Amino acid sequence: MKMTKIYEGSHQWIMFGRDENKPGNIIDTNQYVVRTANRCLLLDPGGAELFAPMMAAVLHHAPVDQITDLFASHQDPDVISSLGLWDQALTNAKLHAPAIWEGFLRHYSCESIEYVPIPDNGGTIKLDSVELQIIPAHYLHSPGNFHVYDPQAKILMTGDVGAAIEANDAPVFVDNFAVHVEKMRYWHQRWMPSNQAKRVWIERVRNLDIDILAPQHGRMFKGDDVKRFLDWFDALQVGIAV
Amino acid sequence: MTNQTKSQFIAVASITSELSAVMVVAKEISLAAANAKAIAFRAGDKAKGFQPITDFINELAKETIELVTNINIHALVLYRLTVNEFQKTTAYNKFELAVKMAGDAAYANTMQKPLDNARLSMQDCQRQFKRDVSQLLGQLEEVMHHARAARVIAANSRIEASQAGEYLQSLQAVAESVDKAAHTIHDNVQRCRIALSIYRNN
Ligand SMILES: [Fe+2]
Ligand SMILES: [Fe+2]
Repeated sequence: MKMTKIYEGSHQWIMFGRDENKPGNIIDTNQYVVRTANRCLLLDPGGAELFAPMMAAVLHHAPVDQITDLFASHQDPDVISSLGLWDQALTNAKLHAPAIWEGFLRHYSCESIEYVPIPDNGGTIKLDSVELQIIPAHYLHSPGNFHVYDPQAKILMTGDVGAAIEANDAPVFVDNFAVHVEKMRYWHQRWMPSNQAKRVWIERVRNLDIDILAPQHGRMFKGDDVKRFLDWFDALQVGIAV
Repeated sequence: MTNQTKSQFIAVASITSELSAVMVVAKEISLAAANAKAIAFRAGDKAKGFQPITDFINELAKETIELVTNINIHALVLYRLTVNEFQKTTAYNKFELAVKMAGDAAYANTMQKPLDNARLSMQDCQRQFKRDVSQLLGQLEEVMHHARAARVIAANSRIEASQAGEYLQSLQAVAESVDKAAHTIHDNVQRCRIALSIYRNN
């Protein structure tokens, strides 16, 4: 598992991905970790197949008992099918996940972990002195969907928005936006169901000060590429399968 | 999923399917008993020896149904235990892998406690499963006992039927169907026991 530190300040953001031991037939995912003084938050911790490499990677940054929070942007298996395993490994943790998915996500087993339901209008996650904002992103692509914004690090974690299917050894940041667009087009047209939801989300996100836009698949966007992505996404017609 | 786990799932699932067949047959016996009672009543004195037998058959069928209902509840518990054990075993294996992959990571040693806990609860599940299997085998033995008793009764019925004059044929048919049903129950339960016996606690 490749680890890339993407923010270092009063706290840290680390991106985990490009797992070289991942079975070839499952989709590659990016996991993000926010590390504060005494706590550790895993954003979209990944599928069951990824549990062991992910846990092993996190152990470079935090002891198990300081993994106190998990966040699931939505209900998909590539996002959170590892829940049942984290549930057995962690003794004092919370899962922040969309309220409307609670009854579904509990199928993965969530007994020792406390399910903290996120209401439709979002909320916050407090980690020591850091406060993260939970931004609604419903229908992008899931009916109950959230992103996480860190105003201090200026990072927006966007789940499946901004995702691309990439080779396993691809760089972690977009380096040529024009080339990268082609890797994202079909994904967004096919997976994102609603032009209206997209418009509302873009409006909301344009008001945030973002240095890094961090999707769950593919590459992160940095600097001017963030605005490029929002403009491109704004102009794209989605929901093409009907 | 390992082959051992797969066969455990299959063994537990097969109990429920074998037992549902036993249930059907036990209900057939109960029906045969009611039928026999009617015939014996019509035959009057000629089937005097047959009458108490029909009550006995009926009682046996009822007890078998009760027993099987009970076993089914236990089989469900056993199924849940199997699922539980599978989950615990999966977790233990993944934790072990995580420790291996963590290598010399700064906090690798903090996984030791979750790993130990996972091992303990996995072993707990295995012990409980074995204990419950032993219990279930005992209950199945009881059903076998009933089936054997039914066959003895069927043999007696045949003797009594031979003295029932013109009712001979219909009473013999009753005895025949009880015997057949008891045979089926015996075979099905035997299959359950064989499937389970490798997991017995000893
Ligand atoms: Fe998804
Ligand atoms: Fe995804």
